[in-house]
Amino acid sequence: MSEVVELVVDGPVEEPALVEEDLLVEDVSIDGMCGVY
Amino acid sequence: MLALHPQVSVRPEPFGALLYHFGTRRLSFLKDRRLLDVVQRLDGSTSVEAALADVPEMERAAFRSALATLEQTGMLT
Repeated sequence: MSEVVELVVDGPVEEPALVEEDLLVEDVSIDGMCGVY
Repeated sequence: MLALHPQVSVRPEPFGALLYHFGTRRLSFLKDRRLLDVVQRLDGSTSVEAALADVPEMERAAFRSALATLEQTGMLT
């Protein structure tokens, strides 16, 4: 019979903060895209 | 006073605009159509604050940051 292991976490589990990008300008690199259609 | 660099081509889009600098080959996306309006007001004689007059006060910091980025990347001169 297999054992059941319970993990007890003290306190709330913190989710990693999501990084919010509110930048109004975004640069795009197109170098090396010759021949791409 | 800032103005669009003469080598920059502007393409308005529903989402904002594309800016392409023929000298640096840099492509930038403007993600807000209002930012395009602000950029187009910058003609070398209009101050940044005057160009931001129609932007709500609480949003101006983001617009100023965007203009600073465009200046750093050579899109605005």
